[in-house]
Amino acid sequence: MSGVLISVVVFNIVMALVVSLVFVPVLVWMERRVAGFIQDRLGPNRCHIGGVRLGGLVQSFADMLKLVFKEDFRPGAVKEKMIFTLSPVIVFVTAYLSFMVIPFADDLRIDGKTYMMQALPIDFGLLWILAFAGLGVYGLMLGGWASNNKYSLLGGIRAAAQVISYEAVMGLSLISMLIVYGSIHLGDMVRFQGQLIWGFIPAWGIIIQPVAGILFIITAFAETNRAPFDIAEGESEIVGGFHTEYSAMRFGLFFVGEYIAMGAASALIVTLFFGGYQIPWLNTTVLKDHIEMIFIAIIIILPITSYIFARWIKKNNVWLEEGDVRNKETRWLIIGLIGINVLVVLPLVVFLLFGIGENGTNISVVLLQVMTFIIKLLMMNFFFIWVRWTLVRFRYDQLQNLAWKVLLPIAIINVFLTGIFVVVLGV
Amino acid sequence: MGIKIVPRYGQTLKEKLYLPAIVGGMKVTFSHFFENLKDTSKIETLCYPEQLPKDITPRYRGVHRLTKREDDTVKCVACFMCATACPAECIFIEAIEREDGVDEKMPKKFSIDLLECVFCGACVEACPCDAIRMDTGIFSFVKKKREDFVVNIDTLLSHKPMKGSN
Repeated sequence: MSGVLISVVVFNIVMALVVSLVFVPVLVWMERRVAGFIQDRLGPNRCHIGGVRLGGLVQSFADMLKLVFKEDFRPGAVKEKMIFTLSPVIVFVTAYLSFMVIPFADDLRIDGKTYMMQALPIDFGLLWILAFAGLGVYGLMLGGWASNNKYSLLGGIRAAAQVISYEAVMGLSLISMLIVYGSIHLGDMVRFQGQLIWGFIPAWGIIIQPVAGILFIITAFAETNRAPFDIAEGESEIVGGFHTEYSAMRFGLFFVGEYIAMGAASALIVTLFFGGYQIPWLNTTVLKDHIEMIFIAIIIILPITSYIFARWIKKNNVWLEEGDVRNKETRWLIIGLIGINVLVVLPLVVFLLFGIGENGTNISVVLLQVMTFIIKLLMMNFFFIWVRWTLVRFRYDQLQNLAWKVLLPIAIINVFLTGIFVVVLGV
Repeated sequence: MGIKIVPRYGQTLKEKLYLPAIVGGMKVTFSHFFENLKDTSKIETLCYPEQLPKDITPRYRGVHRLTKREDDTVKCVACFMCATACPAECIFIEAIEREDGVDEKMPKKFSIDLLECVFCGACVEACPCDAIRMDTGIFSFVKKKREDFVVNIDTLLSHKPMKGSN
């Protein structure tokens, strides 16, 4: 075990933790503020620590704190205490483990050795993800059943039926992707998407296989129980669905697990269909060859975007009362922005002047790709939230009709067409 | 009377695909999101404790007040009409004789239990000498104890009519 290996492994595991657990408050915050803005409201913006509001992000921490400190109550009617406690854990753990095989960057080469940039360096990532995506619903089913409550049971049954129907479609849409990529290793798939079709279109999955892409995105919504497929917790019909009887941190785990599952689904969609860590038109070799140009581009673009962002903050981050402590935040945020700029630009200038060598180039390419992946992930998460606050919930029979009568035939036809295409053209 | 044939929608391919409609809806929500993100000051949310509502009209039935005569004494003659009219039975009056010769009676105690009160305005209607009114515009009363919600005569006399009421 060399020092390099250990630091790469630690980096990857920390990355997996960051994009799953640390992103949860960010996602909750995004959900609320985006919902607010879409509905012409403000959303949470009051909560602050010493005046720092971060646009309302502090509210998520306050809510989590509240969930942690509430009484851990279990209704007396619950007979299966063990399963009742276990089910939120299952939801949480399976959602969290799905993140383990997402490649955050292209394979890192240091001193001639190659390191896989995912938390679990295995090459059957897709199977892993399918396994855990299917397992996650056990948490909902067991929780709904163990609650000993009719509404919870209905919610659990709905979740189970929904996931079974959509899992089939999801698997079929993935098969057509497998035919195209010819691998179940997620890293290979993303490397494939670094190519260009006819020299100018990035070979992203959504461009090669638009039908499979749309099917997969729809089924990913259903798998994560998010609107418009969130009938498992249809408040208007079955109170809270499977988590009616849950409170405090048990409910908190369901809640966090749901957001991690959403993040994992977004990460998978990004990896399979939106080029993963690939910057469009700049795959790993291009990046390595033109690293100086990239540095110069960052040195130019970053201060400009920061300036625009700072102006936006100055305009919008205003508290009504003059003397309020929250009004001091804008200054701190702008100082922070300048600090980030200095911290990024100065080393880049130093690298440009003195050169960074082979390993340095590889590491900076990896960091660039990680940033790209995070940006794409956040955009996909935004898409999830955006859809939730646009579309209405399906009725149960509509949901099953859509899965079996519409999506499944399309998926099967798509698999056949892809197969014929690949065989005939011999690609 | 002819038969009206209602056109059936949703039969064309574009409508059956659903996706164009979904994209249309998403465009609408995104335009709202983007406009509000650009300039949050356009949002009409009232940041309540700092910004108070401006649309409370003089007709609004707020917390009661007792009106005064020209010489700044209480107008109420303790006739118990309001307490009799009150459907929630939340007005408690104790009468004493008025010594200064302006009138015969005046209230010694006049308290209203705001937790019981349903703000129906029957007391204002019932009052024969316009001594009780609900034109203060006070809509928010927060106290720490249950007993504090029983407001006494001094508080009721100290309430001012809101601007714009006659």
